[in-house]
Amino acid sequence: MAAPEPPGTDSASAAASERRPSVIVSGVDVTYRVQGAKKAVASVEEDDESLFRGLFRRGRDLATMQTVEAVKDVSFVAYHGESIGIIGRNGSGKSTLLRAIAGLIPPTKGQIWISGEPSLLGVNAVLMSKLTGERNIYVGGQALGLSRAQVRARFEDIVEFSGIGEAVHRPMQTYSSGQAARLRFAISTAAAPDILMIDEALATGDADFKERSAARVAEIREQASTVFLVSHSNATVRDLCNRALWMEKGVLLADGPAEEVVAAYEATLPKKKPPAKPKTPPSAPSPTIPPAPKDA
Amino acid sequence: MTSAPGGTPLPPALSAEQAAALAKAHGLEALGGRPPFGTYVRTLWRRRSFLWTLASADAAEKNSEDRLGVIWTLLNPLLLVVSYFLIFGLLLDTKRGVQNFIGFLSIGVVVFGFSSAAITKGTKAIVGNLGLVRALRFPRALLPLSVTLSEAIRTLPAMAVLIVLMLVTHEPVGLKWLLLPVAFALQIAMMAGLVLMGARLLNISRDIGNLIPVAIRLLRYLSGVFFSIDHYARHHETVRDVLNLQPFALPITLVRQSLMTEFPIVWPFWAAAGLWAVGLLIAGLWLFWRDEAKYGRA
Repeated sequence: MAAPEPPGTDSASAAASERRPSVIVSGVDVTYRVQGAKKAVASVEEDDESLFRGLFRRGRDLATMQTVEAVKDVSFVAYHGESIGIIGRNGSGKSTLLRAIAGLIPPTKGQIWISGEPSLLGVNAVLMSKLTGERNIYVGGQALGLSRAQVRARFEDIVEFSGIGEAVHRPMQTYSSGQAARLRFAISTAAAPDILMIDEALATGDADFKERSAARVAEIREQASTVFLVSHSNATVRDLCNRALWMEKGVLLADGPAEEVVAAYEATLPKKKPPAKPKTPPSAPSPTIPPAPKDA
Repeated sequence: MTSAPGGTPLPPALSAEQAAALAKAHGLEALGGRPPFGTYVRTLWRRRSFLWTLASADAAEKNSEDRLGVIWTLLNPLLLVVSYFLIFGLLLDTKRGVQNFIGFLSIGVVVFGFSSAAITKGTKAIVGNLGLVRALRFPRALLPLSVTLSEAIRTLPAMAVLIVLMLVTHEPVGLKWLLLPVAFALQIAMMAGLVLMGARLLNISRDIGNLIPVAIRLLRYLSGVFFSIDHYARHHETVRDVLNLQPFALPITLVRQSLMTEFPIVWPFWAAAGLWAVGLLIAGLWLFWRDEAKYGRA
């Protein structure tokens, strides 16, 4: 993709000069180094005969360092006021790409430029679970760059938006996963970040919260920020995003208006391929990797 | 590779040069790596209120684990003093060369207790908080520093116990007691430097974590917690000086000099502690900063 384009890609550069870019990703690779067995499934299939061989194989595999290319040669430009959904199957590198843009994982190759401070809070973001929601609001808010006084000023807003009420004075480990996710979302959006990244956070709330969070995302976009949203819910991406990136095995496969990209992605989902796997229920995520769409 | 199966076009990617030019034209900032050392230290200073929030949150989290909470920070050193007094004061009789052995021992236990807690917990500040590290971007040195600070806060009740014990053992209140906070501040700086180095080491290899309790145990025996280095090493000047001037024994000596009449103030010790404090803190920050981009990656 980063094949040297002739300098005169007029349409792209003309469009770029009109809008202000907030994130530029150029030829980014992210490689993880993993230590350990190459085939974890081998131990399940082993019968007595192959056990001995298996021991040897595992012993050998333990010593090997494997590299996993989570993101391969991804390039795109995001602009202020855009809301970008990142879609793709499990393990396609969506979250890794998001973390790289957030500055949490350094890319192995390529370069990322950003304007302002990115704020990423996913459902897995671990705040301090033994402490009250109140303390976590201070820790999270200040980590996102707010001052103590600013957090204090927005405290009531955060609690109200999260809808957790009196529970804010209880330790976070007593929260339901929905309550915790709502509080995290409220904290991460309180800072009115330049670049807001949401990793699946919206999947956990109830209908009412989804509505309010959609409104909040729209509000942040209007403040000329850029919103990135990683989601498995195609409906969420359609509702909240005007643009979508489709990741497949670490490669950026499509980049365009959310409606079109989501439709193209849905066309490749298992239910559309009855001859391949007739027994797989359409809703369950397919454990096998479906045949990779061929490049044009 | 320019289009997906559905026919959605992939816009032409900018070349590396075009991307760099676009970034420059709009004033975007390159991500990744680490900021220059000076900038890093200035950022740490600017975010000191966050450091305080993290430290007090950390202290509250630890206290919340026990039902008696803060009371343990008082009871623990007292119980330690009692058991050490039974073993070393009565059974092994290591109190030679010391008049007020209870005062001497309790200072050793409390002051070394802070060193031990700071090193043990502070070195785990990165590997034990990976969730936080992976979720939020902030100068990573804030984590080990905040744990050191939180252990210092948790030592304060024990410091109050020390003062009471001094009064009980008839140490006269004097102006030199005002040096106690200075001694403690120097110790905090020394430990912060060591904790920063240890946190980086542990991030490189967690196996090192298994050696820390052993090292702490060894240092406890080498730092004159329950015996007088001056008395027991009086025939070996080099050994005595090395033991006296290492960063785990120095704070104990300084506090004894501040609070006890039998230990007059010896300024060269204070100068040595000052050098250690500045040197270790700068070295620790620098060594920690070198890996700034690598924390939370593995």
